Amino acid sequence: MGRRIVWWTGALAACALVFAAYLRPDMLFTLATAVWNCF
Amino acid sequence: MSSKPAARLSMTQVLVCGAAIVTVSMGIRHGFGLWLTPITMDRGWTRETFAFALAIQNLFWGLAGPLAGGLADRFGAVKVLIGGAVFYAGGLVLMALATSGLAFTGSAGMLLGIAQAGTTYAVIYGVIGRQVDPAKRSWAMGVTAAAGSFGQFLMVPVENWLIGSWGWQNALFVCACLALAMVPFAFGLKEPKATEASTAYPQSIGAALREAFAYPSFQLLTAGYFVCGFQLVFIGVHMPSYLKDSGLSPDVATTALALIGLFNIFGTYVAGVVGQHWPKRYLLSSIYLLRALAIVAFVTLPLTPWSVYCFASAMGLLWLSTVPPTNAVVAQIFGVRHMSMLSGFVFLSHQLGSFAGAWLGGWLYDRTGGYTVVWWIAVALGVFAALINLPVRETPIVRAAPAPA
Repeated sequence: MGRRIVWWTGALAACALVFAAYLRPDMLFTLATAVWNCF
Repeated sequence: MSSKPAARLSMTQVLVCGAAIVTVSMGIRHGFGLWLTPITMDRGWTRETFAFALAIQNLFWGLAGPLAGGLADRFGAVKVLIGGAVFYAGGLVLMALATSGLAFTGSAGMLLGIAQAGTTYAVIYGVIGRQVDPAKRSWAMGVTAAAGSFGQFLMVPVENWLIGSWGWQNALFVCACLALAMVPFAFGLKEPKATEASTAYPQSIGAALREAFAYPSFQLLTAGYFVCGFQLVFIGVHMPSYLKDSGLSPDVATTALALIGLFNIFGTYVAGVVGQHWPKRYLLSSIYLLRALAIVAFVTLPLTPWSVYCFASAMGLLWLSTVPPTNAVVAQIFGVRHMSMLSGFVFLSHQLGSFAGAWLGGWLYDRTGGYTVVWWIAVALGVFAALINLPVRETPIVRAAPAPA
C-alpha cells in the first residue's frame, strides 16, 4: 500500500511538472507558433 | 510425465523495459512538428516537403507493422527492438543531414516509420502477451500504453528545449542517442526459450492470417481501429485550424493539446484496469460512443476556451484508451503465438484511418469551407464503431486439435 502511494505520488508529480512546462509563456508561444505554422 | 510450467520473465522487468522503450519511441516522434519551421527555413524547403515526409512516416509505420510483428513472433522481440532502435537513431541522424527532399523523405519518412513499427505497441504487447499472466495482461498493457502516452506528453517540451538550446540539428543528434538508449531495455525483454509461445497451438503464419481475416470478430476490431485513427488524427491535425477559424487565441489550442496529452495518460491506464474486469467489447463500445457524444457536445454548444478545455480533457481520457483492450482481445481470441503480427495488421487499419482523417479533413474543408461535415462524419463513425464492437466474441477461437506427431 505504501509503495503504491509513493508510485502514484511520483507519477502525479511528474505529470504536474510536465503540464506546468507546457504553460510557461515561452513554451505557449513556441507551441502556438508551431501549431499555427502548420496551417 | 509431468510438464513444468514455462519459464517467464518477471512482470516488473517486462513492464519497466517495455514502458521505457515505448516512452522513448512514442515520445520522440510526437514532437516532430517542432522541427517544421527551423528545417524548412534552413533548407529552403516548402512545408509540403516536410508534411509529405511525415505522412510517409505514418504510412510506413502502419505498413511495416505486420512485418515487424511477424519477425518478432518468429525470431524474438529483442532482435526486432534492437533493429528498430538502430533504424530510429539512423533515421534521426540522416534526417538532420538530409539536404534534399528525397533524402528527407527517405530518412524522416521511411526509416523512422519502419523504426516505429519495430519499437512500439505491437512488438512490446507480444512480449506482454507471452510473459504476463492473462489475469493481469490488460492491466499490464494499460501500464505500457500509459507510459507511451507519458512519453508523448513529456517529449514535446523536452524537444522544444533541445531545439532552443542546441539548435535543430544537434537536437536531432541528441534524440538519436536517446533512441539508442532503447537497446539495453530491449535486452531486458529477451524471452526464455520455453515460453507459452513455443508450446502454443502450432500454426503457420499463412494459416494464422487466413484464420484471423476470416474471423468476424477480427474484422470488427480492425474496422473499429480504423475509426480510432480517423478521429484522433482529424482532431490532432485539424482542431487547431478549427479553433483559429472560430476566432480563439493560439494559446487555447496549445493548452488543449497539453490537456489531451495529460488526460491521455490516465485514460490509457484506466482502460487497462477496466479491461481486466469488464468485457472489453463493452469497454471499446463505450469509448467510441463517448467520443461521439463528446464531439456532438463540442460542435453544438457555444465555443469558448472552457468548452475547448473540457472537450480536450474528455478526448484525452479517450485518446489511446482503445489500445490496451483492442490488443488484449486479439491475444484472448487467437493466443499469443502470432500476436505481434496480428496486432500489426489491426494497427495498419488504424494508420489507414489516420491517413483518411488527415486527408479528408483538408479535402472537405476546401470543398465546403469548414469542418462541420467532417465533425459529423467523425460522430457517425464513432457510433458505427460503438455498434460493431458489441458483437465481438472475446472467447478463444475453437480450433481442431493438432494431429499427433
